[in-house]
Amino acid sequence: MSELIPITALGAALPRLASFGALEIRENVGLALASLALRRGTIGPRPFGLTLPGPGRWIAGQGVAALWTGPDQWMIEYEGRADLGFAAELKQFAAGCSVTEQTDGWVAFEIVLRAGSRPLEALLSKLINIDLADFGPGRARRTGIEHMSCFVIRRSEAHVAVLGARSSAASLWHALETAAKRLERK
Amino acid sequence: MTRLTGGLIDRSQTLNFSFDGKRYQGHPGDTLASALLANGVRLMGRSFKYHRPRGVLSAGSEEPNALVELRTGARQEPNTRAAVVELFEGLEARSQNRWPSLGFDALAINDLLSPFLTAGFYYKTFMWPKGFWEKLYEPAIRRAAGLGRLSMQADPDTYDKGFLHCDFLVIGGGAAGLAAALTAARGGARVILADEDFRLGGRLLSETGTLDGGQATDWVSALEAEFESLPNIRVMRRTTVFGVYDHGIYGAVESVSDHLPEASGRVRQTLWRITAKRAVLAAGATERPIAFADNDRPGIMLAGAMRTYANRWAACPSETVAVFTNNDDGHRTARDLAAKDVQIAAVIDARPEAKARGDYRLIAGGMVTGSRGRLGLKSIEVQANGRSEWIECGALGVSGGWNPNVHLFSHHRGRPIWNESLQAFLPGEDGPPGLIPAGAAAANFSTADALRSGAQAAKRAMDELGIAASSPDLPRAEEADYKVAPVFNVPGKKRAWVDFQNDVTVKDIKLAHAENMRPVEHLKRYTTLGMATDQGKTANVTGLAVMAELTGRTIPETGTTIFRPPYIPVTLSVLGGGDIGRHYRPRRLTPTNHWAEGQGAVFVEVGQWMRAQYFPRAGETHWRQSVDREAGAVRSAVGLCDVTTLGKIDVQGADAGEFLNRLYCNIMATLKVGRVRYGLMLREDGFAYDDGTCARLAEDHYVVTTTTANAGLVYRNMEFARQCLWSDLDVQLISTTDAWAQIAVAGPKSRALLARIVDGFDLSNEAFPFMACAELTVCDGLRARLFRISFSGELAYEVAVPARFGHALIERLMELGADLGATPYGTEALGVLRIEKGHAAGPELSGQTTAAMVGLGSMVSQKKDSVGAVMSRRGGLAGDRRRLVGLRPVDPAGKVVSGSHLFAEGAPRKCDTDQGWVTSACYSPHVRSMIGLGFLEKGDERLGEVIVAANPLEGESARLLVVPACFVDPEGERLRE
Amino acid sequence: MLIPHPLLGPRDAQEFTYLGDARLIDRPDPSAPDAEAAFCDYVFLRDNPAGVHRELWFHEQGDRSWLVVTRDTVTHEVLGAELARNVALSRTRCGK
Repeated sequence: MSELIPITALGAALPRLASFGALEIRENVGLALASLALRRGTIGPRPFGLTLPGPGRWIAGQGVAALWTGPDQWMIEYEGRADLGFAAELKQFAAGCSVTEQTDGWVAFEIVLRAGSRPLEALLSKLINIDLADFGPGRARRTGIEHMSCFVIRRSEAHVAVLGARSSAASLWHALETAAKRLERK
Repeated sequence: MTRLTGGLIDRSQTLNFSFDGKRYQGHPGDTLASALLANGVRLMGRSFKYHRPRGVLSAGSEEPNALVELRTGARQEPNTRAAVVELFEGLEARSQNRWPSLGFDALAINDLLSPFLTAGFYYKTFMWPKGFWEKLYEPAIRRAAGLGRLSMQADPDTYDKGFLHCDFLVIGGGAAGLAAALTAARGGARVILADEDFRLGGRLLSETGTLDGGQATDWVSALEAEFESLPNIRVMRRTTVFGVYDHGIYGAVESVSDHLPEASGRVRQTLWRITAKRAVLAAGATERPIAFADNDRPGIMLAGAMRTYANRWAACPSETVAVFTNNDDGHRTARDLAAKDVQIAAVIDARPEAKARGDYRLIAGGMVTGSRGRLGLKSIEVQANGRSEWIECGALGVSGGWNPNVHLFSHHRGRPIWNESLQAFLPGEDGPPGLIPAGAAAANFSTADALRSGAQAAKRAMDELGIAASSPDLPRAEEADYKVAPVFNVPGKKRAWVDFQNDVTVKDIKLAHAENMRPVEHLKRYTTLGMATDQGKTANVTGLAVMAELTGRTIPETGTTIFRPPYIPVTLSVLGGGDIGRHYRPRRLTPTNHWAEGQGAVFVEVGQWMRAQYFPRAGETHWRQSVDREAGAVRSAVGLCDVTTLGKIDVQGADAGEFLNRLYCNIMATLKVGRVRYGLMLREDGFAYDDGTCARLAEDHYVVTTTTANAGLVYRNMEFARQCLWSDLDVQLISTTDAWAQIAVAGPKSRALLARIVDGFDLSNEAFPFMACAELTVCDGLRARLFRISFSGELAYEVAVPARFGHALIERLMELGADLGATPYGTEALGVLRIEKGHAAGPELSGQTTAAMVGLGSMVSQKKDSVGAVMSRRGGLAGDRRRLVGLRPVDPAGKVVSGSHLFAEGAPRKCDTDQGWVTSACYSPHVRSMIGLGFLEKGDERLGEVIVAANPLEGESARLLVVPACFVDPEGERLRE
Repeated sequence: MLIPHPLLGPRDAQEFTYLGDARLIDRPDPSAPDAEAAFCDYVFLRDNPAGVHRELWFHEQGDRSWLVVTRDTVTHEVLGAELARNVALSRTRCGK
């Protein structure tokens, strides 16, 4: 491994973690990401055994997951593999596909609710213009948060991930933190 | 006047507040207006133009008169309507538009001058001398006529916004809205019930009528409890739906902490964008006054409002009141007030056939023709059956009939329809799709009708949505008839007010008529009728009726009232959404941002990006000292610059080369793997668009760069080409701008520096020549990309590593390059270096220039088609002979100013002799003078000529020498060393 | 406004950027003898109907699909939306 020491998207040595009442927001620095797009004639790749999901959906396997990002395009996530060249690994499972390393392109914030469910919905209603009735576990959308293009993934009833451009990590954190703090005060 | 009995106020608690410095007490549940009335205060404001004393007219958001300044200091808010301000402990309010005091206002002189202040007076009176308008007349008028004052301080409050989605939005929480919400919620639909009041119930709170024999408030409380228990309904109090937008999108403002003494960290208001599949408009109705002489004195108010104050707030402006009505509803006020032991001096009903509904004196077929009382009503003049009498009373309730609140229904230009028997505009057929009117908003005036229509509207919406809902059992309620006579205006010689807030009287409408401002749109603008902050909620229909009378036409022939958002005044702060200052918009930080901050860099905003502009060092007192030093370091040693902001797009697929061939005007398909080529994109109209580099990493894999400014746009265009123009090509695109920290390492010692970080990679000129690229590892195994490209004209590279290592990489490069003179440089030095080298950038690729103009005409391949190729050959573009040249001052100390226009020496400086302009200019440490780039007519043939650069904005001009557009190493030897 | 995305359902128009007339899909043949005139028409001339209009929208803050949206410019009613790629492909197949 290189002797260079990475910093987080928020510019620190260690990932940020903060709690707001029952909500916890954690910067996930271990998440490896790579995009996968079908080329002409390629059918049905099953990277890491995953069945690639359809529009608006996210599917998870053991540590690995895929979300639909566009027609014939997906983002593949691998928990804890950020240190490796993930694209190179994914390529072996995706013959005939265009694969691009995306790990450093994004900051991932995991928002977990420790109790209840309303606060999570309340938080999301301040951030994204998505009908939450249609945003249960397994749903994922790219949308705008405060003019920043983000992927929002409903990992479970009590867990949402927000992936934003790494360069705007601080602004995205501010948006999430502000909304969470205001919720806490209610 | 003290409190009456009853009311929906909590008498166990007392709230202290002040108005114009005087202390008063009220109770939770009060509004500012109800508490003032309960304290005997009738005088609450002064009118806009004539400074007439005014009291509260209404009990809701239609209030035109009782506008007050609320709170103090930076939180001072002008023009709040006392009728809807919820009372809180410590509330401070002040009256407006008066001096020195509300009781004695010096500008009340305007009232005596009223013959000169009629409609359109300022168009006529202040015509000359011309220059006086801006300097004298307008400021004087603005001081004299007006509303509240701004604090002139920054708003210290915070604001929020949010998004809600539902099946069914219920606008209004009165009888109809509650019935609608109940129907839909029990059916399982996702319901939002929004009401502007702090208490649900609407007019149920104002009336004494029972529901199923019990108090209406009990029924409301039971519903609130049921709603609380249901997961599928969200009740939003203090939330006003102010606008209807396309496809079921509604704008609403929730007052979150306006009603609290201390916001204590809470936001003040929240702007909600609500997307609803269906909605019901249950916004109720607004009573309108009748215009009669001096009908604006404090104490004269709407009869329905008077009833509201008595029933809901146990407040009445006087112990003796009279009622003037043209409909049945006015009698209800007399009956309810009598029941609270208020003395009813008389009920004057304009209808000769009217009958009394209680034990009070009725003057049927009567009219109120005048009033007395300077700061508050003392008596009214009544004429009936040819006789006239003065009746003493401290308050007069006036009812000219009810106007359904069709406002939201008109927001898509839906025209309301006149109903002759109800003398009101009703919602028409062409309202916003999905919005169903119900209750009083649809002229269902009795409580029973309102309940039924609300339930029916919900049922209809549920049917359309395929949700099984059945109408709930609705409570028994009054089914009173509503009959109204068309009486809008009592003829007379004195002024009779139609629009209270803007001081528009019947006389003004007559004048507009006489001066042929008859169409309703002209009437409105000429008299300012309906143009105040209340948007004429109590005035528009009356104004229309008066004009109809004058023209002898019917009301619908005269025109309709149409409304636009917002329904109520909405603060700009809440529309702005909240974040101000540093968080006003998202910021993008480069991977070396924190490092650069540590170096004391000065930053500049480039789009959303924050880029280091220059890195001042101790002793440097002027930015140019830093920039000259940084540029010099690149020319003599090695400089480091974060260039991550350039857009990076990963292009893959079997047809990637062919795709890029069609996008760039030059050929990309023949590029060898491991090589980079400069690329120029044109727009389809043939003008130059964006430039960058194309690196071929594999047969089927390119990485292209765009300018920082165009990164998003170029990606959008590439997707357009991929999906819409050449969808048969096998190509995949994805942005990787943020994924890589890219650092330019430029200068004669750049190779030496890079040799210290690459892992066994041959950097020799033979192995890795100019315009080579490679994937490699650096610093012991870190994956990286290396490009030998140069923007400065020096031997240079760009090295890219995963973004999270950018910080560590630049630290390492600085450390390892200390002995080589490694120097960080910012965008300012970057600009100097590229101007010296004559590289086109944003100012040259302005969207108005061609490839030939920037000296790249030969790049446009004639062998293939590409975006813009055909149009670049059209005569107008191909014939443009302006060319990019270098410019230096004849006097070495002279200035070159970008934006200057170029003229032949001695030529007049006019458009038709204009020969071009200066695009970029800087001080060049290399040339040791200022230099510039510019477009000059036939510039390529005029090297050595002296021209004039005119800068008329600053009254300067300079003589410039035309030179080649490359001041450094014109043969390009340094790049290839 | 809501745009009925053919894959993602109704999405708020704020997620999209607007380009204009869907005729921009029909790029003229650059090798035709009258190519310049055809391109001139393609680049500069647009119909501006009061009524039904087929237009291009880009789902920029979404799945990056270009859509052909059929919209009544008078009422703003959206009559349908399709993937522009499919529209383009079907024209290619028809030998447009």
